[in-house]
Amino acid sequence: MAKRTPSIDTKNVTAVQLMELDSCVRCGECVKWCPTYAASGEKPGLAPRDKILRWRQYMNKSYGFKAKIFGPEEIPQSELEQFKDDVYGCTTCGVCATVCEAGINTVELWEALRTNLVKKGIGPYGKLGTIPKLIKQYHNAYMLDQKDRLAWVPTDVKIADKSDIVYFTGCTAGYKQLSLAFATSRVLNKLGIKFAMLGEEEWCCGSNPIRTGQIDYEDVAREAARHNVEAIQKKGAKKVLFACAGCFRAAKVDWPRLLGKELPFEVIHITQFLADLIKEDKIKWEKPINKTVTYHDPCHLGRHVGVFNAPRFVLSHIPGVKFVEMERSKEFQRCCGAGGGVKAGMPDLAVAIGEARVKDALETDADILSSACPFCKRNLSDGRDSLKADIVVEDVIELVAEALGLSTT
Amino acid sequence: MLYFSGLSDALRLTFVQIMIFSAIAILIFLYGLIGNFQKWGAGVTGYGLEPQEGKKGSAITFLKTWWNQVTAESHHHGKPILEVLILDIIFQRRILKRSPFRWFMHIFIFGGWMTLFALSGMMFAVEMTEKIGIELPFTPAEFRDFLSIPNYIFGYILLIGVLIALVRRLFVSEVREASIMYDWVLIGVVFLVTISGFIADGIRTGFIWSFGLDPSAAPPAALFHSIISLLFCIAFIPYSKYIHVIAIPLALLANKGGE
Repeated sequence: MAKRTPSIDTKNVTAVQLMELDSCVRCGECVKWCPTYAASGEKPGLAPRDKILRWRQYMNKSYGFKAKIFGPEEIPQSELEQFKDDVYGCTTCGVCATVCEAGINTVELWEALRTNLVKKGIGPYGKLGTIPKLIKQYHNAYMLDQKDRLAWVPTDVKIADKSDIVYFTGCTAGYKQLSLAFATSRVLNKLGIKFAMLGEEEWCCGSNPIRTGQIDYEDVAREAARHNVEAIQKKGAKKVLFACAGCFRAAKVDWPRLLGKELPFEVIHITQFLADLIKEDKIKWEKPINKTVTYHDPCHLGRHVGVFNAPRFVLSHIPGVKFVEMERSKEFQRCCGAGGGVKAGMPDLAVAIGEARVKDALETDADILSSACPFCKRNLSDGRDSLKADIVVEDVIELVAEALGLSTT
Repeated sequence: MLYFSGLSDALRLTFVQIMIFSAIAILIFLYGLIGNFQKWGAGVTGYGLEPQEGKKGSAITFLKTWWNQVTAESHHHGKPILEVLILDIIFQRRILKRSPFRWFMHIFIFGGWMTLFALSGMMFAVEMTEKIGIELPFTPAEFRDFLSIPNYIFGYILLIGVLIALVRRLFVSEVREASIMYDWVLIGVVFLVTISGFIADGIRTGFIWSFGLDPSAAPPAALFHSIISLLFCIAFIPYSKYIHVIAIPLALLANKGGE
């Protein structure tokens, strides 16, 4: 009789990650904090603890002591399909890692399991599989023409052909949420910062395929990273500014890993750049914003890379702004619901999470819910609209532009 | 040399016999630990990789991968190894940050358990020293008496922690409903080992924990406690939730204290 083969394999899951499965003591902290578990009506399968338990059981059935002696135990395909649905119902926000008493790096674990399932032919979830294909074909997921990358640039904005500083717009700000691109470029001009842009040489940063386990799909993510780095170098950049938290995280963490080397330039989020200018007293505000403002930390900017203070520093220096914190903030913030492919794959779940975050903001009596990521802005706006809540959702850079007397349209 | 426990005067368990039990327990432990290392070693050695075709998981692969991660640079939240060792592994601050109550419970179990383990190790070292003929300024019996007070203190510390854990798991609905056999076995076994130790000692000394039992029951009670301690506190570790006592420190070191 032929020996059974294991129903799962360990592709893309590191030896340390397999050990992490056994370090979970099921304390339940991750369950308490998980935004998707809460927004789903506490669907048990979405609890991080449950996902770890299931993959540990799969590992034991496939590679454990019993499997060594009697051969691997078969895991029904339907069970793996259900597991895939649950592992994709995660925004990879990382709060489970923050509160994990065993220190498990869950974000990397979920991404590794997604990649593993994709290679097994089980993942990705729903239409997420089309995104790397679109990026490969169009270099952006919106199927828009690369030639239009700078179509939004208004006549008053001056962009240098080459500069020490490059502004990496990102697909969402460059094609869909133009007010962010208007605000960023005008603020830089106003502050006398000479900057270049990549234009049609700017490709998708690769964040979506990486977060959704499609990192190896025809090498799209690695190719995008390589292309963008080369394009940035050609512009002579020493510093690259990002106003999109997703792109920033991809450039800071994922690009060096994909390329196997450190980047030849510094990557910096626009809020960090502005905070430095404020400290150097180089910003002359022109218009007060007499509003109460709260701030939502984008997961990719906060928990993933540790930028918590710069956006708060900027907001609290805008004249007239009364800054208030939400109960869940900084490393314990509740995700907006857009990340990890959830917005594209499970839009209803994404909006439900967004609603929860807007409710957090409403509790502060803030007039404005600000963030520092176009994707957060989009989903928080959807959550706000769904709740019919009376709160403005604006990016930090839009508020800065307004306080400098600049238009964002 | 006689070991203090035994089935009866006629069938007293000797030091050699208990050593054989210990060796078996250690061998079972090592077999399980290496098995776990091999299972973990079936994973890949780095980010975005695939396992080598036809290659089985090996303990060496796991250890190398783990060490590479320990020594790699982190994105932003890496803490020094010494800080992780002291604050995260020994002091368990990640639990304290989440729940001071659960930290109190766990540090009592951890502190009681580890100290009793260390005291047993010291007793063993003294007996071995005498066995190989090195003269010490005290006899093993005197040393055992010397250890009795710390043994009681840390035994009660452990007992308090275990009772809190048990009561919490039984009576806090949120915890009870989320508990599975994997959790129950751990707490049940810890409780059994702890209680059996108190009862064995109580029968021997006739104090609180004797429950009116005849002192002649002391040797089998002590034997029962010794054997289940070896079985569950050493041999069973790699095959149960106990594995967390090895996996968590390794995970914390690999992830530099975690996020």
